[in-house]
Amino acid sequence: MGFSTIIDILGSMIVGAMLMLILFRMNDASVENVYNYGGELILQQNLAVTAQVLEHDFRKIGYCADWIKVADPTKYVLLADSNKIKFITDYNSDGNLDSIFYYLGPTSELSMTANPRDRFLYRVVNNEAPKGINLGVTQFKLVFFDALGDSLPFLITDPADVNVMEINITVENIAAYDEKYSSAFWRQVRLVARNLRNR
Amino acid sequence: MFGKAALLLILGFSLIFVIFGQNFGSVTTRAVDNFTEYYTESNAHNIAVSGANMAANQIFFDPTWTTGYDDVPYSEGTINVSVEVLDVYKNIRKVTSTGTYGSTTNTVSVILSPSKFSKFAYYSISEGSSIWWYGTDTVWGPFHTQDYLRCAQHPVFKGPRTTTKKTLKYYSSKSADKPYISGDFQSGVNLPLPTDGITPLKGAAEEDGYKFTGHDTVYITFATDSIKYKYTYNGAVTTAYSSTFAPNGVIFAENAVVRLKGTVHGQYSVVASGSGGKGTIWLDDNIVYSSDPRVNPSSSDLLGILAKNNVWITKNTLNNDDINIHASIYCETGGFGAQDYDTRPVSGDINLLGGIIQNTRKAVGTFGGSGIEHGFSKRYRYDERLLVASPPFFPGTGAFEIVSWLE
Repeated sequence: MGFSTIIDILGSMIVGAMLMLILFRMNDASVENVYNYGGELILQQNLAVTAQVLEHDFRKIGYCADWIKVADPTKYVLLADSNKIKFITDYNSDGNLDSIFYYLGPTSELSMTANPRDRFLYRVVNNEAPKGINLGVTQFKLVFFDALGDSLPFLITDPADVNVMEINITVENIAAYDEKYSSAFWRQVRLVARNLRNR
Repeated sequence: MFGKAALLLILGFSLIFVIFGQNFGSVTTRAVDNFTEYYTESNAHNIAVSGANMAANQIFFDPTWTTGYDDVPYSEGTINVSVEVLDVYKNIRKVTSTGTYGSTTNTVSVILSPSKFSKFAYYSISEGSSIWWYGTDTVWGPFHTQDYLRCAQHPVFKGPRTTTKKTLKYYSSKSADKPYISGDFQSGVNLPLPTDGITPLKGAAEEDGYKFTGHDTVYITFATDSIKYKYTYNGAVTTAYSSTFAPNGVIFAENAVVRLKGTVHGQYSVVASGSGGKGTIWLDDNIVYSSDPRVNPSSSDLLGILAKNNVWITKNTLNNDDINIHASIYCETGGFGAQDYDTRPVSGDINLLGGIIQNTRKAVGTFGGSGIEHGFSKRYRYDERLLVASPPFFPGTGAFEIVSWLE
């Protein structure tokens, strides 16, 4: 084995090592990208689903298939706070009035997830036991406006003052590669539950 | 040998790149699809809402409109609207609007019911030039004035408010006087009283109610299941069984003054027509429901007191210590007030359960630094049943109102 052979082997090892490093780096980047892309997709799906459910329910505040039962719809927001709302609606359109309560749970309930900020967004119908689904919600912020368009300060002592709502939702991944969490934000700037303005 | 290895290496890398590229492309496409779906659904929904609003507007201008819309292009989509009469007798209609955007459709259903003046807790054409709603005043239920809404020290209005005038009047400033309003507020809403909303009730009374005619004054006393009436103070009293006296509930005194009191069981509209001193109803004592809806929410007792001119609280001994009124009061050319409000003794409270619809706001008492000096204090409470029910043949506004909106 001559000197040139040793040089060839060393050169091959160096080239091989470089190729291996490139391969590992590419693998790492690929995994990160797959994780992030997939996470963002899930994030978007969670946000879209949450937004659709919220819009559907909030637009039905004060609605009842048997409209005679809703004499004064302004009374049908029972509780309005910065991150919780309870209202009366006929959620399954069966002609019976139901209550729906939305509120955000504490972060401690989801301490098992990697994301320290995610929380359960609860949707409680009537007197059902609260059931939370982890959609990675980190913010559920409500702003309420009166009939003249002025924002109502919290605490709102008379929920009948509520005329228009602004809904803010932020959703993050429940786990992220290298703790680089993606987030998506949705805001319904002016949601008017039409039945609140009837009569 | 080396060439083959390099080729395999390149092919391997290419394969990996293709697989990852396809994966990333798929993820990106699905993410875009996700938002595209939300966008198209939102657009379809907005188109459907627009269709419902357009149909409601058409019905506002023409209450008989049932034509609907058929594939009307709108905002890069189409609108289809149908109008269905759900209840011919009550004239309740349903508008179904379908918005289509791309392949996505969304439906909005709206139910409309004829609007009656009885739905108002308070209605006036004229508020007077110097009468203000003060901080101690609270009005529950729908409110409308054709005049300015004059506010001082944050009066409270719990229910939808509409005014014809496009601004509020503040006694000193907005910050000091802004009203607390629960529910909706709209200015620029023109809703005049009918010039002759009383006459249609005459026809109803002739058809299946009871019409007094040829008497200057009619004394009517509701006595739960019977109705007593006479034509002079000391005249003979006639008693009739209330269910057969006026089956459709309309009791009409033509060109007469009505003096009213008693306990009402059932649903009635007591009407006085005429001009000059006629067409006036005097409340000689309490006029209340046999079953108070605040105690018994299923109470079906309902009364309309409708005068061409005024409804007055009589100045007498019986009314010197509170008066209880359960009714929706309608005064087409005059108003609701207390007789000799500025000279009568302090008379306690007007405990009204119902609403007041009047042309011109009238006084019921006078106030000084130490409180009431003459007449009554106001304790007006809205009867929420009036939002969905009305006394028989109560005058309508001529328009529909939305009673249910499903989207």
